[in-house]
Amino acid sequence: MEKVLQINNLSKNYGSLQAVKDVSFTVNQGEVYGILGPNGSGKTTTLAVVLGILNANGGDYQWFDEPFTKLARRRIGSLIETPNFYPYLSLWENLKIVAKIKDAPESDINYALGVANLLKRKHTNFGHLSLGMKQRMSMASVLIGNPEVLVLDEPTNGLDPEGFAEVRNIIQSQAKEGKTIILASHILDEVEKVCSHVAILKSGELIANGRVGELLSSDETVHIQAENMEALLVVLNESAIVKNAKIVDDEIVVVLETDIKSTDLSKLCFEKGHSLSKIVVKKQSLEDQFLQLVKK
Amino acid sequence: MKKLFELEKIKTLSYPAFRTLMIIHFLLFFLVILVASRVHFTIPGFSVKGLYQFPNIWGFFPWVASWFNLFLAIVVILLVGNEFSFRTFRQNVIDGLSRNDLIGGKLILVLAIAIYTFIMVLLAVLIFGLIYTRDLSFEIIFKNSYLILIYFIQAIGYMSMGILVAIIFRNNALSIIMFILYFALIEPIVRLFFKAEVRRFFPMKIISNLTPMPEFLTMASEKKYTSATGESYLDFTEMGLLPENLSLGTTVFLAVGYIGFFVALSTVLMNRRNL
Repeated sequence: MEKVLQINNLSKNYGSLQAVKDVSFTVNQGEVYGILGPNGSGKTTTLAVVLGILNANGGDYQWFDEPFTKLARRRIGSLIETPNFYPYLSLWENLKIVAKIKDAPESDINYALGVANLLKRKHTNFGHLSLGMKQRMSMASVLIGNPEVLVLDEPTNGLDPEGFAEVRNIIQSQAKEGKTIILASHILDEVEKVCSHVAILKSGELIANGRVGELLSSDETVHIQAENMEALLVVLNESAIVKNAKIVDDEIVVVLETDIKSTDLSKLCFEKGHSLSKIVVKKQSLEDQFLQLVKK
Repeated sequence: MKKLFELEKIKTLSYPAFRTLMIIHFLLFFLVILVASRVHFTIPGFSVKGLYQFPNIWGFFPWVASWFNLFLAIVVILLVGNEFSFRTFRQNVIDGLSRNDLIGGKLILVLAIAIYTFIMVLLAVLIFGLIYTRDLSFEIIFKNSYLILIYFIQAIGYMSMGILVAIIFRNNALSIIMFILYFALIEPIVRLFFKAEVRRFFPMKIISNLTPMPEFLTMASEKKYTSATGESYLDFTEMGLLPENLSLGTTVFLAVGYIGFFVALSTVLMNRRNL
């Protein structure tokens, strides 16, 4: 599988503030890769560095296994933070600039405006659009030149629920076409519904990355209490039926492997000589898991 | 090159402020030369009409046009500053331009504006010169015509400094204020701290000296036009309107050097700083 983006130990400082610290991850072709993190976690900075608009203070990155060249840029459609267009130009004129830069045919402009549902507004000046329309215009510009990779930073910012759904549909349809999508967001639901892989950033550091299903699944957790919690934790972490176990407050929170039931856990504890004073099964929300990860 | 030109054409020609400012520039230039052609005052040794005749007109019209070079620099500051405030430089790079392309595009813009003003002054010179000159000959018409090329270099000088200032400050209002302050206050004050031999080499001094007051006018400050008391009627050197002991060739050479320096510094800043 071709590596689309490889980031190695990337760092970026703003004066004394270290916005990105030694971040490394790889995005492969065809993946829908989410970069998740609370506001100020370094998502936008990471993307701005790999797109060449901010200079890194350390580390390096490669697109398509090569240094970042003009040619590589044209294989990527990007939307970073706010929509950046000339307010006094019409949507068509603004996209003509994008098409010229990317050496794309002018027919792409009408296609992109059509996908973003802005064809009727093609002669309206960008400055006269609502925030939601501006965001959709950004999506249109990303599609110019039929790029292989879409880099989208908070693409649903400022959208109403209808616009939110429209943008999500565009992303999903592009993903179905086999395009690689890198999506930065602080909206968990957005990442979970759209992405196959995710990197989680907190205060500029990468705290987890992998498949969404592995990192942010709506797993059941089993909350247990016993007399000797430390010894029980060792037993659980050595067991093949337990995916993950940790002490949280005065109980052990256990995530079981697929198809393992809480009764199997109870039986394991009994066999190892630990009698449980409490066993409660809880469905853990994605938000709980995300918060647990970023609070670690 | 062609792509950068086409991009700048789309960005610039549709910008209402650009169109308005260029129309004002055009009107101001023609207003001054039309009004001046109607003015009658007496300074021993010459008449105003003589300024509209070949070959004097080659020096006079570029000199008048040079008054508005500051205006052109402000237009360029606005166009570059807008790219920062609209964050479109950033978007252009994301879409596939290099940072050198961004500078290249603006240099093409500067060149295009300089060519436009060159043509505007050239046409004005030819029209007024042909109207006001009685004894026309090929030699008289084209004598001193090189002065318009020097005006062209001067216009590029002002505008390339405009690019540099806009890249340094990235804010239209601040850039315009700083540019005018540098031109009118900072450099003149700094020059005072240096010896006369050094003063004349400062960038704005060199660039503004490219289009000196026309020879025809400078005659008024020469001794033969002094009053009975021996004092000159007008001392243009004292007024800062005449170049100080540098040949035109040297001034042009230094001006082109400064233009190169402004462009190089703009390119370095564009590449080193975040967008």
